Amino acid sequence: MPGLLTNSDTQSSTIVPFSPEPPTLYNLHHGLTPPLAPRISISWSRGNSLRLSIFKSPDNHPQDEVGGKVVEVKVSGEDVEESGDGVKWRRIVYGSVSPFAHLQNKKNAFMAVSESMGYSSSYDAEWSKYVLEYSKEIKSLLGSRESSPAPLIEDPNTVLQNVEEPSSLKAAWELLEIFYADKHSQGWIPEQLVDWLSDYDSLLSGEMPTVYLRLVEFQAELVNIQVVEDHPAYWQAVSSALAVGWLDVVVNLLRLHGSYQLNQLGNRETENGLVEAVAVLVSKMPRMRADLPDGKLGECWYNKSEFMRAWEKWRGQITKLDCSSFWLQCSHHQTRESLKNLLQIMLGDTNALSSATCHWVELYIAHFLYIRPFTSGLESMHVLAQKCINLKPTSSPHKLMKLLDGIIGENTEVVLAECSRSFGPWMIAHATELLTAGSVQAEILLKEERDNLGGISIEESHRLVYAQVLSSHALTWQIAPIYLISCMKHGVGLLEILLYKQPVYHTQVLLKNIEICRLYDLDSVSANAMKIAGVHHWKHGRKGAGIYWLQQAGDEVRLNRIAQQLFDFVGKSISDESFEQWEGLIELLGSESRTAGGLEFLHRYRDFKKSLQQVQDGVLTDAARKAGEYLISLMKNPSTPQRFWLPLLYDSLKLLNLQERPLLNVSQTNLLLNKLQELSVARLRPDFVEVGLPPQALSSVRLALAANLGRATLEE
Amino acid sequence: MEKSIATLDIGTICSSWNYSGQRLATGLVNGTITIFDTTDPASSAFNQTFKFKVNDGSVAKVVWVPPEYGDAIACICSDGSLSIWEEVAEDNEPVQWKQCKSFGGPLDQVLDSQFGNSQSSLKLTVAYSNGLVKVYEILDSMNLKNWQLQAEFQNITDSVTKFGKGSCSSASISWSPQISEIRPASFVLGFNSDTPQLNSPKVWEFDQDHQRWLPVAELADPGDKGDQVYAVAWAPNIGRPYELIAVSTSKGISIWQMASNPDPNGRLSVEKAVTFPCIDNEVWQMEWDMSGMTLATTGTDGRVRLWQSNLNGVWHEQAVIEPTT
Repeated sequence: MPGLLTNSDTQSSTIVPFSPEPPTLYNLHHGLTPPLAPRISISWSRGNSLRLSIFKSPDNHPQDEVGGKVVEVKVSGEDVEESGDGVKWRRIVYGSVSPFAHLQNKKNAFMAVSESMGYSSSYDAEWSKYVLEYSKEIKSLLGSRESSPAPLIEDPNTVLQNVEEPSSLKAAWELLEIFYADKHSQGWIPEQLVDWLSDYDSLLSGEMPTVYLRLVEFQAELVNIQVVEDHPAYWQAVSSALAVGWLDVVVNLLRLHGSYQLNQLGNRETENGLVEAVAVLVSKMPRMRADLPDGKLGECWYNKSEFMRAWEKWRGQITKLDCSSFWLQCSHHQTRESLKNLLQIMLGDTNALSSATCHWVELYIAHFLYIRPFTSGLESMHVLAQKCINLKPTSSPHKLMKLLDGIIGENTEVVLAECSRSFGPWMIAHATELLTAGSVQAEILLKEERDNLGGISIEESHRLVYAQVLSSHALTWQIAPIYLISCMKHGVGLLEILLYKQPVYHTQVLLKNIEICRLYDLDSVSANAMKIAGVHHWKHGRKGAGIYWLQQAGDEVRLNRIAQQLFDFVGKSISDESFEQWEGLIELLGSESRTAGGLEFLHRYRDFKKSLQQVQDGVLTDAARKAGEYLISLMKNPSTPQRFWLPLLYDSLKLLNLQERPLLNVSQTNLLLNKLQELSVARLRPDFVEVGLPPQALSSVRLALAANLGRATLEE
Repeated sequence: MEKSIATLDIGTICSSWNYSGQRLATGLVNGTITIFDTTDPASSAFNQTFKFKVNDGSVAKVVWVPPEYGDAIACICSDGSLSIWEEVAEDNEPVQWKQCKSFGGPLDQVLDSQFGNSQSSLKLTVAYSNGLVKVYEILDSMNLKNWQLQAEFQNITDSVTKFGKGSCSSASISWSPQISEIRPASFVLGFNSDTPQLNSPKVWEFDQDHQRWLPVAELADPGDKGDQVYAVAWAPNIGRPYELIAVSTSKGISIWQMASNPDPNGRLSVEKAVTFPCIDNEVWQMEWDMSGMTLATTGTDGRVRLWQSNLNGVWHEQAVIEPTT
């Protein structure tokens, strides 16, 4: 079971090197006043929900009104930060079911095809298409796709405008998609990372200074600033935005420059020309990517050689401007120096980039943009990342930084550990599909069956953990089966336990249970659920429902016990009003002898007993004749359980002993004698159920039948 | 993280949840049982629905009967008695709790009892203070009144030697949670007594052919067999090729792996996976989650600890839950 995961760069034979970390300490606030009893009682509910009963000390405290509390704790589960409100969380949980199930179906179909037709490389391409589709569907659940933090300036005082609150879950998913799922865009990973940072730099701001934070702070100051170009914060904001490639922000900020004001244009013409020249160069920056979203600046080049030419030309223009003599005519010192700094950034000066950025990911992005636009391949990306980490070390890196580091370090263990520790069971259960699509090494790591895990793969163990999270909530347990069934080895075992633990005496829960069992061919599980429901209803006085569900469960043992109870009852009291209570019940049992569990004969038994009651001792009447007919029909009918044969015959003694003339003819008497013989043989079997009759019952019946046979023979 | 789901009466000292976690039975010092329910299966607010007295002394432990046999509980009380109570509606009367059976008493005090749910019938293991173990079996699956004594033995592996009556202060029984037609019914049992031979946890298996109970494994290292056992817990098995059983003794918590199938001698090979020493902490309750992947324990230190095995198969203490006001 994946518990604590630790990351380490050392390669060893173990999956994830284990260093004993101290256990997490949770404080459980129960609100009881001391003294408390030393004993806490614990009990697991479904999934990972643990219930603790905390008792107050039993010593007398008459002023107390409460003797203890039961508190429920979810011991691992959804990331609290991500799932702030349950509704939002469940939307993601429910929404991801269909893409997941769809992908599993595709996978099974692919496996079936490749088994019968052999492997083909075209499968890989097609499979990647499905994985990307899956990834995009899941991503859409995590938030609407509004690219970038939309750093727009429509109102000159608005530098940044947030379209939606980004979530780190989505940020992490996008990272995985960029590196593992989106095979077609692998040539443009650097540009994708530029977009990624512009979307999510705000998330990192909670824990460390960022370019985003600089811009936010500057925006807050902006209202109080008269002449922006005099303020270092303005130039810092511009250079930072430029370093991470937020070109539209840069251009908008530059246009706040005082030289653009109409009353200034006359005497600051050269200065304004320089600002505008830089702004134009910024907006014309060549980008190696297919396209840019609306409002974003730069010139896109799809083709590498064309991009190279454009890049060289652009750099030439920058150098030319840098060497221009106009700078000498620019009298505003800060403008001059800061614009030159912007040119240095664009020319890829390491120091300028380093001072314009706050953390290593920003510096990394700056390197891609201005120094190594052709970086490709994870190995060189990793080398560059290490360089940036060394230049801008962080004592406690953000979880997204750790994830990115793991991904570009091609360290699947670390990626897994980060996904599971920082983003929770949902993330890891769904992300393994991207990871395995991304690399053969990851696939081996995730899918290999391990003795350490009781014979399952890491992928399966993560799915089991997620299914546990789903199982612990009444609103999500129904979707746990979809994940469990995708677990080849332990999934069905856990599913059976999950289904067993449902409160099936609530009919809607039982029906859901039956439906799930039918989907996955778990007949014995649904039979057991129906049995539990049947016994519950029967014992709670809902006899009809009880019998119905026991019949559905095919529980002959319990139905026979019920039959015995009914038989005893009908046998004892056959007055009409008391029989009415049972009438409906017997009616319900229907006439299908297979499922009736030997109960439908009770109809005929009731009629038989009624006639028998009317028989006067020793006198042959219509009632006696009728009773005789009922007896024969009961004994002939295969649905009459064998253990009732003797009680029936014993009840009929007075019919057999009629003085006037024998009631039964020879063949009828022979039938009864044969039944009696069959019964004597059956008694020898271990499963024979003795009925509470006097010990001489059998012999007195035999005697009566023999006498009857003799008399009938004489008569005939 | 936490959510309060029920408020208990003054004097409550023990509690037990039913199979689905939808009904709670609590025992009080005055011998009363209180039942808590929710009206809606999706709700987690539990309210009192029944209250009835089962004993003049104090209730010590409550155990639910498996649901295939109705809504019923077994109550062990401080006077050493064990009684079974069932929720029924008879003859048009409203639903009420009725006693259907009682075992034990002042002479042979019941220390622990657990129900084992086999395919064919309901079994009940009872451990007594004199070191005896009795296994009862129900005669009629729709009636909890009639029990038949199926076996009576001491918790020792050597069937020849018999010990005099021991003096045991506690016992712990845990049935194999697996209900299977192929696997025989089995349970593990350990004592906390002054007779070392009785103490070590032994796994008992029902030999259907000869209708007798046999010890098939002993969960103690050779030097630790006399250690007093506080609790045992058999983990659910959703597909592992071996069983997991947790044992808490005076030395600490151990997790044992036991082969699922016997060797040619009919014994089940066992291997201790880990021992966590528990200093000054007598662990008296251990519970496995439904997947058998996480073990929760609690003891005299008043904390709840969670134990898990990581991806390398190394068991470790994953979390500590400390109750605070």
